[in-house]
Amino acid sequence: MQWMVWTLPTALVFVGLALLLCGMAIWGHFSPPVARRGFLRIETDRGDRLYIGLISAAVVLAGWIAVTDLSMWLALACALLVTIVIGIWG
Amino acid sequence: MAEEQVAVARRAGRQLPWARAVFWLYAATLMLPLLWMFGMSIRPNEDILGSFSLIPQRTTLDNYRTFFTDPVWYSSYLNSIIYTSLNAVMSLIVALPAAYAFSRFRFAGDKHLFFWLLTNRMAPPAVFLLPFFQIYQSVGLFDTHLGVAIAHMLFNVPLAVWILEGFMSGIPREIDETAAIDGYSLPRFFLRIFLPMIRSAVGVTAFFCFMFSWVELLIARTITSVDAKPIAATMTRTVSAAGVDWGLLATAGVLTIIPGAIVIWFVRNYVAKGFALGRV
Amino acid sequence: MTEQSVTVAGSPVGGEIVTGAAPQDGTPDSRVSVKPKNNRAWLLVLPVVVSVAFTAVIPLMTVVNFSVQDIFSPDDRIFVGLEWFRSVARDPEIRAAFVRTLLFSAQVLLLEIPLGVALAVAMPRRGVWVSVALVIVALPLLIPWNVVGTIWQIFARADIGLGGWTINNVLGIDFNYTLDSTDAWITVLIMDIWHWTPLVALLAYAGLRSIPDPYFQAAQIDGASAWSTFRHIQLPRLRGVLTIAILLRFMDSFMIYTEPFVVTGGGPGNATSFLSILLSKVAVGQFDLGPAGAFSLLYFLVVQIVSYVFFTVLTRSGR
Repeated sequence: MQWMVWTLPTALVFVGLALLLCGMAIWGHFSPPVARRGFLRIETDRGDRLYIGLISAAVVLAGWIAVTDLSMWLALACALLVTIVIGIWG
Repeated sequence: MAEEQVAVARRAGRQLPWARAVFWLYAATLMLPLLWMFGMSIRPNEDILGSFSLIPQRTTLDNYRTFFTDPVWYSSYLNSIIYTSLNAVMSLIVALPAAYAFSRFRFAGDKHLFFWLLTNRMAPPAVFLLPFFQIYQSVGLFDTHLGVAIAHMLFNVPLAVWILEGFMSGIPREIDETAAIDGYSLPRFFLRIFLPMIRSAVGVTAFFCFMFSWVELLIARTITSVDAKPIAATMTRTVSAAGVDWGLLATAGVLTIIPGAIVIWFVRNYVAKGFALGRV
Repeated sequence: MTEQSVTVAGSPVGGEIVTGAAPQDGTPDSRVSVKPKNNRAWLLVLPVVVSVAFTAVIPLMTVVNFSVQDIFSPDDRIFVGLEWFRSVARDPEIRAAFVRTLLFSAQVLLLEIPLGVALAVAMPRRGVWVSVALVIVALPLLIPWNVVGTIWQIFARADIGLGGWTINNVLGIDFNYTLDSTDAWITVLIMDIWHWTPLVALLAYAGLRSIPDPYFQAAQIDGASAWSTFRHIQLPRLRGVLTIAILLRFMDSFMIYTEPFVVTGGGPGNATSFLSILLSKVAVGQFDLGPAGAFSLLYFLVVQIVSYVFFTVLTRSGR
């Protein structure tokens, strides 16, 4: 595993992702996801919205780092906001 | 009445008179670069660089002789064939049950899993170069045929699942149910009844796996050095201090086309069908 | 679980085969039954998940680890946070390559899609020549990508290649792809057209073959011209396969590496250095793990977005 050059922050990110997936699976087991249409105008269930939300968050972060020097914590806040908005109303 | 219909159908199938001519003109144009390369492979190098001529003035098989007597050349050619075949077999083995599952059942996360598989098919190989180099070195698969075959599963397994799933979905589920009533277990049903039914699909899938593994260079080159070096990587050897050995390069080029041409001839009747499913 | 959400992957696109998708309005269709739910199907999918995890997930995790560190050796490395992302996202060379790659993809689509459809329409549909035509058309797809590069490297040369020689000596145009950046671009573009139009043609051909004869008979009886038959009968039926063709061609041209690498090596100057050429230069040439990792991830993000659009359009176009 030495060659994978793990660091604590990246490890935490992946653990978080894994937990998120497990959580979604468990949630899906107890209350199956229902597809519906939100402001994205396409039919999505909560898994789709999570994916779109995460990708959008990544876009926000990448765009932020490309254009401004403002703190990345602010970017992270915006990204989380985007994910939540898409997750709930998307 | 029936004859009339046939006549109408035939007339309807007919194309514009010049369309056929345009097609064959394109086909001829398409062949030009290939023929030119073939022409170069049978000329001595002095003629290639010395004077431009449409028809080779002197022909020689020296380049082919070099290719088949120099172990570096012919062994790398064999390397490519070995890992390509290995990859096609392995991809099919893991993809068949998965495609069956996708075509027959709903299960937790199926849709997302399917999409995730496809994104790997679409990932730029350049993204994976560095970690591949290190992984295959650390697990002892560096410079082995098996290593390249596994690495190429990155894009061939999703492709195989995609194509096979399309074909399998076309086979009614009643067949599965009947077999289950007749007392077939799932593995036995799959091997004895289902697999023979989708023979052509397996052929098409094997063809596409072979093709994509055969044409890939970037990954294969990165995780091999000597023992499993692909022919494509050996071709870069022709560039030396003395310049490019164009004749030998063209020879290797011609020979790398042959396996593909053979394979496509065998599956030609199914290829269009594989594409029709839109699963490539 | 509603009826609509059962379409897993199989939406029938361009093919005649109807998969387990229930109709959009939810009314039960006697021909199609809903797939049974069975989580044990995961066991069948497991081999695929394991193999793809080994070839994709572990490498991707490693790339993520690379991207946040300055690595001199596995034991000697410094955490640098998002610095590499900053430098990659602001690198003018990478931005230029991004624009260049997008431009290339756009040109590829504009030229290859109409040409491929035209070829498919003109292709023989009956008789012995069908096989020959199919094999000839498919041939470029089966040639190793670096050999495609080699073929054009030779063919387009002004001194020893038929193509380059003809342009210079018969048409009298000064053409040299190793010195002139426009010529290099055109060479790479024509090479891509030569290489990949067959894919569009085969897809479109397969789509055309799936149109039932009665459609043509009706057109024949109405006395429709060849053009209006194409416009009103063939083209609409090609929508599905063309969606695939467009998106596949976009993805592949956006990731193009081997062919231009062999022909021009990204030059002259950086006229044909596309994103992947630049990336592998950083990754393998300079062995800069950190920047290469960050570059890879941003590249991968773009591909993810396009793939998702691709998948969404694809699975919805059949409904």
